[in-house]
Amino acid sequence: MTASALPTTDMPTRFAPPRLLVGVAMLLPALGFLLAFLVLPSVILLSYSVLSQPQSGDIGLPFTASSYQRLISSPAYRHVAMTTLRVALFTSLFTSLLAYPLAMAIAYGRPLFSRITMSLVVLPLVVSVVVRTYGWQLVLGNSGTGVLNWLLHVLGAGTAPVQVMFTEWAIVIASVHVFLPLMVLPLAASLARIEPSLNEAARVLGAPAWRAFVRITLPLSVPGLIAGLTIVFSLTAASYVTPQMVGGSRGLMLGVLLEQQINTSFDWPMGAAIAAVMVGIALGATAGVEWLVGRRAAARLRRSGAR
Amino acid sequence: MTAKATAAKVTSRAADLAVSGLTKVFGTTIAVDGITLRIASGELVALLGPSGCGKTTTLRMIAGLVEPTEGDVLIGGLRVTRTPVHRRNIGMLFQNYALFPHLSVAENVAFGLEMRGVSKAAIRPKVAAALALVQLGSFADRLPAALSGGQQQRVALARAIVIEPALLLLDEPLGALDRNLRESMQVEIRQIQKRLGITAVLVTHDQEEALTMADRVVIMNGGRLEQVGTPEEIYSRPRTRFVASFIGASNFLHGRVIGHDGSGLRIALTGGGEACMSHSDGETKEVLISVRPEAVSLAALEERAQHGGSGLPATVQQVVYRGQATHVHMTLDDGAPLLAFLPNRQGEKAKEDFSPGNRVWASWPSSSNWPVADG
Ligand SMILES: Nc1ncnc2c1ncn2[C@@H]1O[C@H](COP(=O)(O)OP(=O)(O)OP(=O)(O)O)[C@@H](O)[C@H]1O
Ligand SMILES: [Mg+2]
Repeated sequence: MTASALPTTDMPTRFAPPRLLVGVAMLLPALGFLLAFLVLPSVILLSYSVLSQPQSGDIGLPFTASSYQRLISSPAYRHVAMTTLRVALFTSLFTSLLAYPLAMAIAYGRPLFSRITMSLVVLPLVVSVVVRTYGWQLVLGNSGTGVLNWLLHVLGAGTAPVQVMFTEWAIVIASVHVFLPLMVLPLAASLARIEPSLNEAARVLGAPAWRAFVRITLPLSVPGLIAGLTIVFSLTAASYVTPQMVGGSRGLMLGVLLEQQINTSFDWPMGAAIAAVMVGIALGATAGVEWLVGRRAAARLRRSGAR
Repeated sequence: MTAKATAAKVTSRAADLAVSGLTKVFGTTIAVDGITLRIASGELVALLGPSGCGKTTTLRMIAGLVEPTEGDVLIGGLRVTRTPVHRRNIGMLFQNYALFPHLSVAENVAFGLEMRGVSKAAIRPKVAAALALVQLGSFADRLPAALSGGQQQRVALARAIVIEPALLLLDEPLGALDRNLRESMQVEIRQIQKRLGITAVLVTHDQEEALTMADRVVIMNGGRLEQVGTPEEIYSRPRTRFVASFIGASNFLHGRVIGHDGSGLRIALTGGGEACMSHSDGETKEVLISVRPEAVSLAALEERAQHGGSGLPATVQQVVYRGQATHVHMTLDDGAPLLAFLPNRQGEKAKEDFSPGNRVWASWPSSSNWPVADG
């Protein structure tokens, strides 16, 4: 009863709309856009993959799994899917190997050096993928006039011209170049978040620089690495321009196959099935990486609990 | 774990430390300017000074994290100036603890031993002993994030001493802790350091911390050594005005030597009044005297005759009750400030007889006069 001794007057209140409503209202334009131009077309395209396309060309009922069956049972299609996975895997691997030194230069370098490195890494993004890939065509050309083969010749590696162009390796090389910035940026952000004193503590405790990197810096940069790997793997697996321009028939990837099915064979259900597989690969890569890391994090969490 | 395995003890292989002419120049700033210092084995020395005076830089040069522009570092008589950081066998505590967030407490403590190629079987009992020493035996499997700040710094301490370092370096290790915890950690770190006989260098800008923990205190200013001595020496016999004002509070009185008598020099104070000083400071005519505020007592101006020693008239400006003491801020007749700390005792009434505007006689025993260089 003592509390009532204080005189109480409420502050005047204004009408305030519920916060949730405001939030939804602000999201609406973006949601609408995504719904109309992403979700709807995707659903339509993916639905083609389970519909039939008779000789007349009109896609419609009945439902059928025949496109998927053809995709799975045909060795040629399976080969293309494997090529796609392999190229994406190697591209991710080489990109991360190349990205670490660059990301470390950006995260730990002196401000000017760091900014210059950053610009050099990002600058290629302003040039169209098509132009950059034409560049690789010139560099990797299989005849003696390709820059690489010319260089080997000049340096006296007196062998027959190496045949890189129109193979998986050509795609990997060009893709590493194209996607490198997308690996460097999240990695640099992750590295910059690591307390510099952690590395110093490791050094003082007796770790040579390389061991401090392996035991401290590397594990702590994993979040950035995960982000980079997910992006690079998904984009490489989904790429079209690069394999189309430097892959040739030996480096046929799903993106190119998809385009052929739709533009050359006019087989929309098959194209849609390939698209579905590509979406599956992208989601699978994300989920796989999540699962790998999430499992470790969960184990950590369990251990860190009081017991 | 068997009883035998836990019987491992944490020991130390402490060595003495010497730095000579240690200098660091960053671009155009001289961060550390020719420091020479010897630290005996088992001694804890505190580097104390205002922000930016070069304490951290000095410590990092000793550790090998910063390369000196000039000068040498000797650990156990060996010149390590060009020895890379990981081969100096040093333990270090950082202000932000610097525990490895992805490793458990036990893995953190084991890190240094692992780097030294100690076998897994030998590591386990050592880690257990080190964690027991900092009373964190039951936290071995936690991650650092699941510990409080004080616990984290104790893990860092265990991690640093388990490698039996020649030297323990502490850079404001308790700066991020609250006052009570800081005080108990000061005692704990000091006890462990003494028990193991580790040579230690503590960087701090907290004078109480330096006085409480250190065998000797090094006062730094602008990259140079200002004074080196035991806490008692630094506090009661400051060499310069800077030291006297940096450690505790001090009044500074200008005066002129006007003669000798049996007990020492007689000095006429610029603000009026007189002081006697037994410490003769050469033949200087002009002197600067430091008087600690707790030495000053106040009386009504008429009673001045009853108060011997040194004294002078002053005008009370402000009286601040501070619990254990009442601080009386005054001005002298020449405008210089004078501060007195009058002790309060429980049950007694606070000093009320001095209020702003009052003229008082401030006096202190002549033994409290201490000449300082005007630096
Ligand atoms: N890496 C650096 N580059 C340039 N200047 C530096 C660098 N490190 C320190 N300094 C400068 O050197 C001087 C001494 O710095 P230091 O960190 O040693 O001071 P400190 O005594 O530890 O101060 P605080 O109590 O604030 O920690 C400062 O003027 C500082 O700006
Ligand atoms: Mg510092």
